[in-house]
Amino acid sequence: MKILVSARDLRKNYGSLTAVDGIAFEIREGECFGFLGPNGAGKTTTVKMIHCVSPVTSGTLIVNGLPAHINNRALKKMTGIIPQEITLDVDLTVYENLIIFSKFFDIPKREARKRIAELLKFVELEAKRDSKISELSTGMKRRLLVARALLNQPKLIVADEPTTGLDPQARHLIWQRLRQLKSEGATLILTTQYMEEAQQLCDRIVVMYQGKILKEGVPSKLVADEIGREVVEVRVPKEEDDRVVAQLSEYASGHERVGDTLYFYCRDGQGLMRKLVELDLHNYLTRPATLEDVFLKLTGRSLIE
Amino acid sequence: MNLSYRVYYIFIRNLYSYKRFIVPTFLVSLIEPLFYLVTFGIGMGAYIGYFGGKPYLYFLVPGVLVSSVMLTSSFECLYGTFVKIIHEKLYDSLIATPVSAEDAVAGDIAWGAFRGMISGTLMMAVAMVMGVMPASLPSVLLLLLLMILVGVMFASLAMIVTSFAPSFDFFNYYTELVITPMLFFSGVFFPLDKFPGWMKTLSEFMPLTHAVKISRAVYSGAYDSGLIWSLLVIVVLEAVAFAIGLKTMKRRLIK
Repeated sequence: MKILVSARDLRKNYGSLTAVDGIAFEIREGECFGFLGPNGAGKTTTVKMIHCVSPVTSGTLIVNGLPAHINNRALKKMTGIIPQEITLDVDLTVYENLIIFSKFFDIPKREARKRIAELLKFVELEAKRDSKISELSTGMKRRLLVARALLNQPKLIVADEPTTGLDPQARHLIWQRLRQLKSEGATLILTTQYMEEAQQLCDRIVVMYQGKILKEGVPSKLVADEIGREVVEVRVPKEEDDRVVAQLSEYASGHERVGDTLYFYCRDGQGLMRKLVELDLHNYLTRPATLEDVFLKLTGRSLIE
Repeated sequence: MNLSYRVYYIFIRNLYSYKRFIVPTFLVSLIEPLFYLVTFGIGMGAYIGYFGGKPYLYFLVPGVLVSSVMLTSSFECLYGTFVKIIHEKLYDSLIATPVSAEDAVAGDIAWGAFRGMISGTLMMAVAMVMGVMPASLPSVLLLLLLMILVGVMFASLAMIVTSFAPSFDFFNYYTELVITPMLFFSGVFFPLDKFPGWMKTLSEFMPLTHAVKISRAVYSGAYDSGLIWSLLVIVVLEAVAFAIGLKTMKRRLIK
């Protein structure tokens, strides 16, 4: 499969701060590739370098065979951006936002009109065509950002936390549209803090933390490799850790203490649960392992400031 | 410098957004010159009487005309552009398209100059209705060209200030310490001959002084060779301010 984006020893400094610290990755054509990480991990900076709005400090970053560079209009022309912040033109209506943006891409007016009609339908905003931006809900604004990102029929779509602040309905609609675009052949780059979003959309992900890539892989395989199938959360006082762990560790592939909870990572939680009952410990919870566990295991469960 | 024809698209974007403000801004652009011309021109003019054989208004109009271009172009690229960068984050979405940061900034400068020209033109129209006529039809066309030249200069200077502004308050330094003094030291309301030598020298460093000199000459049709120097000052300052404005704004926009 063709490689669309490849980075080697990619670095980005803002003054003395290192935002991206020598990372390497490859994104294949037609896949959905996710950058996961807590705030300040370097996800947004990385995608900004990919879509040519932030200069690379050092290393190589090749997109569609061309070096990513802020003056690379050819790359900007083939890329659609769904930004993290709502950057709609508040002085213009919904339709005007799209028609003006289509000019920026040199799309002829007739073609632009046709595409806008299709896109407003695609994001279910036909009724809002002549509304002002201030009259839209957050979900509608985000959908309009999706429509705007698709005007130039991009080969590469970069979605930077596209569902932040949305209710479940609006979030699912965005997910469906993104999956639809991928099925139509677009390559998708997604940054997110929502593990469910990554599991829903991504073929492969990297977990970033403090400017570095900690892990790379297929979401379900990462969960299986790093955590197992199930997680048992046991709430016991910290003083009893030694005793409880000694009794239970043979049933788990790993454990971790955070705050008031002991987390046990298991292939199969049955054995551990039987043992818990024997030990007369009833304050526990068993659930399937998720990407969130991988994420928290890799980046630490305590609060990152 | 990465400039392209896409400057025009930003101008068009501004024109689209202007539709919503066109009535209030036209009213302001009409009322402001009336205010100057009526108070200073008629009120003060009654005391001053004739200036070089013509009523005071003939002295006042060309000066107020370029000052109004200065004010409008400056404010557009101070407050207008700042809102687009910080509050609306419009520039963030622009530079992710084939429009470069330089295109976007130059488009806003062109727009600021255009707004300045509209103000100046309305002012000229009011003056003409009041009977204060430019020397000839070519004078009118030359005045329009001058307004664009002066507009681009002050829009570019304002852009440099905006590129360093942490907040709106910062603009007060520029408007109070640079723009307002220029209104009074550039010979807009009275001739500079009675100023002491150092004040005359100071006024030579003010771009508005040179704009006023040219405007007055074109309006009356009485040219002299000193104007070449004034024109040179404006063109050079304009080119330098434009280049610096694009550079410093790019530094602000692209991190």
